[in-house]
Amino acid sequence: MVVLNFTLVPEAAAKVHDLLVCLGKFSDTVAIEARRDRFTFTALNSSKSAYAALTLDGKQFFTSYECVPRHGGHDGRFTCSMYTKALLSVFKGRLYDPLGRDGAIDRCEVSVQDRPDQTECRFIVKMVCNQGVIKTYKLTYEAVEVMHALFDKNVAKNRWSMNSGAIKEYIEYFGTKTEMLDIFAGEDGRAVFKSYTEKISNGKEILKHPLVTAVAVNTSDFEDFNVQPGLHIIISVKDFKAIVLHADTLKTSLKAFYSQPTRPLQFNYGCDGFLCEFTLMTSGDYNAGATPTPAPQIPSRPDSRAQSTTSERTENRSMRSDMPPPIKPASRRTGRRNPGSRRVPSPKAGEPDPDSLFVGRAEEDSHWDPLDYNNEEETLGWDASADHEAAVFPTFRDSGSLSRTETEDSNEGVAPTQRVSQIKGLW
Amino acid sequence: MRFKASIQNINTFTKLTASLNSLGPLAWVKLSDDQVCFTIIPEQGTQVWAVLSIDTIFETYTVQSAANNVINLEVPLTSLNRALKSALNATSAQIRLTKKDNMPLLALTIATTSSSNSYAAFPTAAANNNEDGMDNLDASFGGGARETIVTQEIPVRVLGPDTVAGLHEPQCREPDVHIILPPLMQLKSISDRFTKLALAGAKSGTTASRSRLEVAANMHGCLKMSIKTDAMSISSVWTDLNNPELDPSQVAGGDIGIAEHPSTRMKQLGSADGRSEEGWASVRIDGRDWGKVMSVGRLGGRVIACFCHEHALILYVYLPSDNGEDESVLTYYVSSYSA
Repeated sequence: MVVLNFTLVPEAAAKVHDLLVCLGKFSDTVAIEARRDRFTFTALNSSKSAYAALTLDGKQFFTSYECVPRHGGHDGRFTCSMYTKALLSVFKGRLYDPLGRDGAIDRCEVSVQDRPDQTECRFIVKMVCNQGVIKTYKLTYEAVEVMHALFDKNVAKNRWSMNSGAIKEYIEYFGTKTEMLDIFAGEDGRAVFKSYTEKISNGKEILKHPLVTAVAVNTSDFEDFNVQPGLHIIISVKDFKAIVLHADTLKTSLKAFYSQPTRPLQFNYGCDGFLCEFTLMTSGDYNAGATPTPAPQIPSRPDSRAQSTTSERTENRSMRSDMPPPIKPASRRTGRRNPGSRRVPSPKAGEPDPDSLFVGRAEEDSHWDPLDYNNEEETLGWDASADHEAAVFPTFRDSGSLSRTETEDSNEGVAPTQRVSQIKGLW
Repeated sequence: MRFKASIQNINTFTKLTASLNSLGPLAWVKLSDDQVCFTIIPEQGTQVWAVLSIDTIFETYTVQSAANNVINLEVPLTSLNRALKSALNATSAQIRLTKKDNMPLLALTIATTSSSNSYAAFPTAAANNNEDGMDNLDASFGGGARETIVTQEIPVRVLGPDTVAGLHEPQCREPDVHIILPPLMQLKSISDRFTKLALAGAKSGTTASRSRLEVAANMHGCLKMSIKTDAMSISSVWTDLNNPELDPSQVAGGDIGIAEHPSTRMKQLGSADGRSEEGWASVRIDGRDWGKVMSVGRLGGRVIACFCHEHALILYVYLPSDNGEDESVLTYYVSSYSA
């Protein structure tokens, strides 16, 4: 029998939404791995070139967390996989809203029903909303074995870290349809993020070639930059964008670790009991010969090549030691939750607030775009609601059965725009 | 072949490319010593011939080629617009024609001091020793060590003089009516609404001519926009608009030319309240295409519309310029559908 119950505050539930959005860009399914002290979402993309592991700390991230795996003692785990979209339809956006508008919740309770004596195995999410409404979702899941990507930080000598907000600005310069990202450490105090597409086309097709964008950043703009000069490393720009956008929701720094092209690269970031790790495939030199000095040789460590299930423990242990130190004890944090003093997150830039009274500058220009007539949203149609009581323009009929026969004779002098009920007092 | 310029007015350039891009994906750009021309000739729909004075968008502009210092390029507008958008907060931006792997491209080099520069945890000495510069950076940016440099490479095609020799600006007879249009935002929101209504009706029927707008004007300051379908007929009339006087020096035949000009005859007909049936010069245009033309409103220019009755509508969009001398004009040729 498996016991897995946990409770989330709205802020944490909103973080689950954000992480699912991010993982959805990698894979249709997410795998879940629950242990006694932590809960991990993992995703592996279909080409197996990107792997994500997002770990929530049992004590820090949750209000309460209880996990008793079926067996395995301390290292036992409960694993399953679910459709990302199914989870996203439960962990919708706007779960956390300080103004308590539509969609806001008070807390979120999750439990897993996985007992041999019950006919159904379900992942049950209860959204306790502000008005005492409880929405219960029962999701099906598939029992799977969860694999972990291996990454040896010891050989990843090239490291940098940067504020995610800054990198987000850089990725906004990138063209829309590019495929690759080359991260290049220049020898002149600059690092270059270059988005491009490998496909070479000829003739007229040339003009359809996506933009090549290079953003040259001073290494002093990084919080930390320690990369072998002249090294190019190439990853998928789509993955990078997904990671940066998610890191930016947490307002943390993004850290990169890598050794050399064709060896995996890892991005990680996190805060408050939430650690995100993305291990990505990299590819070779963009400009051949630009890396004259060979990267440090990887010592062949027998354990780092072992099968996932056995070595994953050692890997996880090192991961655990990497968890950021607790900032405040979780109990104190949650105990002091005072609605008045809660910090209201600033609305995300670039994502216009639909309720804002102000017209954004970017939006203003879009007024000039040709209208999309295929957009059905504003099409004029009939009001088929048959809700005449609530109609904007009251008619005689809306005063209902109220003594129509009685007023019928005296009706003559009444202007047709006036309700019978309004003039009744005259008689 | 050499082209290099720094962009003086990124905002105007960005809006220009956005407006042109709504009519077609590719522009023929002609760079010469004294002007820059953008021409859009879509397979169907409105043509645009834009002639800009150099300083409308550029400064420190150099263009050199074997063909009388004229360079003709075919430029994908979506990419150019996207690239320019990344320069909106730039401290400086340069554009130049270059080659990479034997493929011509326009390279846009943008220096920004975005807020990101303030994220830096510590200043390093490394920032000062980039004298040699990177191969794809302009040397002049070497000094701005604190800036982030963005380079955008837009693929282009170089057109030979013989390729563009066959492209001619449309010829049109003297217009019957010329009038200054009301604010384009007003015009656009009304024509968009009309088109939408016509298309909503067309979903049951299937006639493509359903979204035909009829636009008409007279020489007494009236503009009328209307749409007719089997089930409805709507029109909006503007009055008290301005019909600019013709300049005798610009009309063939001088004063006699003006006396015989079709618009002089049209002045005799119609009335200023727009109720008269007479004196209108009208054209039938496609509502969707008109919506794309109206996209030029973002540039905020003055627009004179010239109506050739049942033939064509020509819009002259005059861009506001600082010195008021060499004006930049975008000319839109909208042809009229027969009934």
